[in-house]
Amino acid sequence: MKIKVKDEGQVTVLSLNGRLDLATGAGLKEEIKKLCDKDSTRIHLNLEEVDFINSSGLGALVSVMKQIRLKKGRLTLSNLAPYVREIFDITQLAHVFEIFETEQDAITSPAVVTS
Amino acid sequence: MTDSRSLEYPSTEESIEQMLDDLNVLLDDSHVTAEERNAFLLAVSEAFTNAIVHGNGLKPGKEVKLTLRIKENELSADILDEGQKGLEQIRQRKPSAPMDEGGRGIDLIEHYATAVGYMETDTGGLRVSIRVSRKTETCKENI
Repeated sequence: MKIKVKDEGQVTVLSLNGRLDLATGAGLKEEIKKLCDKDSTRIHLNLEEVDFINSSGLGALVSVMKQIRLKKGRLTLSNLAPYVREIFDITQLAHVFEIFETEQDAITSPAVVTS
Repeated sequence: MTDSRSLEYPSTEESIEQMLDDLNVLLDDSHVTAEERNAFLLAVSEAFTNAIVHGNGLKPGKEVKLTLRIKENELSADILDEGQKGLEQIRQRKPSAPMDEGGRGIDLIEHYATAVGYMETDTGGLRVSIRVSRKTETCKENI
């Protein structure tokens, strides 16, 4: 899996390309760790080019969300292919992650405040 | 007509990528629909990852055997590991909580497979058998 990183103001956008599974999820976790260590904790993942995800890939996403939340940051996702979105729905993770139609929607969205 | 392949992989993370590459090549030659491909890839990848990680404990000296069959009306796979008590682990599994990092693989197999079976092998390993039905032209005509 390839990961492209760019800054969009306060938000760091990572565009993922390829498969997200056990082998490639480790690379994503490492990349997020580096960003958290630099206090870049408003992170967006554009999944448009992710053509395969399984439970190991979902596990990697849950792991990075926990890592970001520990730093009081925020993780958003966008551009899920219908097949990928379906897997989030089946596993109920669509309710756990903040998922947007487009990258721009995610970047400009206000944070949800929970009590 | 059946296209059948038997493959063996060492229990490493790299084998998961290799298996997905091999399976994609096989499916490319089989004119499967995107829906059939996605369902089969996901179900097989979950069982294969479980075999590598939980069954064989990521020990490269242990192998995972994969048999794939492409038929006109179904795609099927058998995944065998060299672990112990895999069947017991399947029976005792608990539902995953939203923030759990694991525990969703079997649910996904059971969602995407038309049928799935679990058996203990003679040596105590786990055999997972997966079937995904195909919508053949004949079937579509009968609907």
